[in-house]
Amino acid sequence: MTARATAGARRHRLRPARILLYVMVTLLAFAWLVPIVGAIIASFRPYAETIRAGAFSWPHTLTLDNYRNAWSQGDIPHKYLNTAVILFPALVFTLFFSSMVAFVTSRYSWRFNVLLLSLFTAGNLLPQQIIIQPLFQFYNRVPLPEFLSNSGKLNGSVWGLILIHVAFQSGFCTFVLSNYMKLLPKSLNDAARIDGAGVWKQYWQIILPLTLPALAALATLEFTWIYNDFFWAVVLEQQGADRPITSSLANLGGQFFTDDNLIAAASMFVALPTLIVYLALQRYFIAGLTIGAEKG
Amino acid sequence: MTARNTHCSPRPSAFGFALDRRGLLKGVAGAAALGLGLPIGLAHAQVEIGKASGELTVGSNYSDEVPKSGLHAAIEAFPNKNVTVKLNEVDHNTFQENITTYLQNPDDVIPWFAGYRMQYFAAQDLLSPIDDVWASGLADHMSEGFKLASTGEDGKLYFVPWTYYCWGIHYRPSVFKEHGWMPPTSYEELQTLAKSMQDKGIVPFAFGNDGRWPAMGTFDQLDFRMNGYQFHMDLMKGKEKWTDDRVKNVFKEWTNLLPLQQENPNGRTWQEAASGLVSGDCGMMTIGNFVGQAFPNGDVSDLDFFPWPEMNPEFGTKTIEAPIDGWLLAKSPKNPDAARELLLFFGSAAGQEAYLAKDKSVIGAATDIDKSLFNPLQQKVLAAVSAAPTVTQFLDRDTNPEFAANVAGQAFADFLADPSSIDSILDDMQSQAEAIFGG
Repeated sequence: MTARATAGARRHRLRPARILLYVMVTLLAFAWLVPIVGAIIASFRPYAETIRAGAFSWPHTLTLDNYRNAWSQGDIPHKYLNTAVILFPALVFTLFFSSMVAFVTSRYSWRFNVLLLSLFTAGNLLPQQIIIQPLFQFYNRVPLPEFLSNSGKLNGSVWGLILIHVAFQSGFCTFVLSNYMKLLPKSLNDAARIDGAGVWKQYWQIILPLTLPALAALATLEFTWIYNDFFWAVVLEQQGADRPITSSLANLGGQFFTDDNLIAAASMFVALPTLIVYLALQRYFIAGLTIGAEKG
Repeated sequence: MTARNTHCSPRPSAFGFALDRRGLLKGVAGAAALGLGLPIGLAHAQVEIGKASGELTVGSNYSDEVPKSGLHAAIEAFPNKNVTVKLNEVDHNTFQENITTYLQNPDDVIPWFAGYRMQYFAAQDLLSPIDDVWASGLADHMSEGFKLASTGEDGKLYFVPWTYYCWGIHYRPSVFKEHGWMPPTSYEELQTLAKSMQDKGIVPFAFGNDGRWPAMGTFDQLDFRMNGYQFHMDLMKGKEKWTDDRVKNVFKEWTNLLPLQQENPNGRTWQEAASGLVSGDCGMMTIGNFVGQAFPNGDVSDLDFFPWPEMNPEFGTKTIEAPIDGWLLAKSPKNPDAARELLLFFGSAAGQEAYLAKDKSVIGAATDIDKSLFNPLQQKVLAAVSAAPTVTQFLDRDTNPEFAANVAGQAFADFLADPSSIDSILDDMQSQAEAIFGG
């Protein structure tokens, strides 16, 4: 058999495999879409129709009532604001602090570099549930002045939530940013130092602007991660009205009965900001997922 | 014996006295007060609505539309306008799961359950006794059974009953009428009825156990019908064994019932099961009155129930499952006077009528409540509960919460998945019960 014949045969033999692949991919896509499409359809149907005809029946009535009710009963605008008050400071502080650690560990050779980096990376691996009990007790014992916290404690204040987000997210960000900064030539610092730039100037004016692509990618990723938090807010914020949107979705459900169609509509409101961020900043999102993959 | 060798005199309890010295002194002081003719009630002033003022924090697990509007109406109706009520609204499920952390920074007035689950926190000194609220009028319009359900292990009162509902076999009268069926009065009639439903292609019992609590309802009915109230409550408190033949008989009977219930209940929510009742695919459902909320637009005009029929002539139909919801006072409330006034109001007919005007799925605990407000279903609940001398709360309210959630819920789900393994399931339950209740 000649080489060409083998190649041709292989192309022929591949055809059923390729069909199988398409079938598989289509089935998988379908399986992933069922719950999402199901929720979207449910969100436009009245509950009375769903319970009479079943969740997978063909919809007869389409209405925006669920959205209207979810918006007012779930107090969605207020919950968006609660989330924003936690999310944006947490995002800024996380990126600011972790870029500083990354700068030091990547631009200076220091004896404890590796140890420090491992410490930050190890923090990533710690499950939240393990530290919640001591953290809660600790937060409950830290007093805060009234103007910073309604409860008079770190527990139940937005600061407590911002703090724990910064602590938990900076591990991953430090890891990613230090890898990225390592790729920048060392001579940049040397040149700056010769021109008389101090450490702060090297960080703020030379390295940080060059790290912007990585920061943008991380910002998009971190936005969705912090936004999606449910756990911290449920445990560390006792006032129902002050909880972020993810933790207050359940407010629409009752002791026994839950209007699933109403919850479906509210879920759409919850999902919307992350969808917008993803669609608008898709480019950075994908960059963010691969950014730490290569080691400098 | 070491106590005798110490230089300090031993505690009286070391010699078998139930009281310690401090308790004895308190008792002496109390006896002295009695002897002097001073009413003990003087320790607390009479609670009277209208004296307190300021802000009062109230927790609420009534976050969904209907109960929320009911509670808002009740607070609106609170006559003391010098008190500003600040509501902390959290959904029921999250509230319950978070209760231990919540009780470390609680609101002054706390929503909770009667019975064991209240006693559990009272025994841990997380609540304030409210005997003064009861003495200020509450006791006059609460039944003895409800007073008992509000009493802690130490004999003090900690709970204000608010609303309740009951469990039973729910059905649609229009469906029964169409087929010429009658609500059964004996267990045999129930089985005949179920057979007749099966002949017509209708599943007799709608059944869902997603969340692992709905099946507890069926267990409770079978257990107190077959073995009586006392055995059931002792079993809940760890005083009787899950490996007892009487418990095994319950599961034997349940195994016979399984073909009459919807299959594979563990993956079905009670709401999905209820939709079978609504559509007419299922004939009956063992559930609480809240099933009406799952009816289209909450319309309960075609919903009725009958108590689970007699299975053992010794116990008849004397017991009913009627979980009571109500209110507690925090250990160190910031505004105790306002909190006591609100509790007194919540326990009164006026407070409960304001709530019931919005929420028709429950009935009020006050005996002097205006019954003309009730719809026919509520009237039936009242009649059924009044007719039963003994009231249970529900398995997960009558026993240790950890045992209910982690042991019983799992065990019942395992039984429903594989009924033949019931003996090993019960052995396992018993050993875990001993670990939790201390043998």
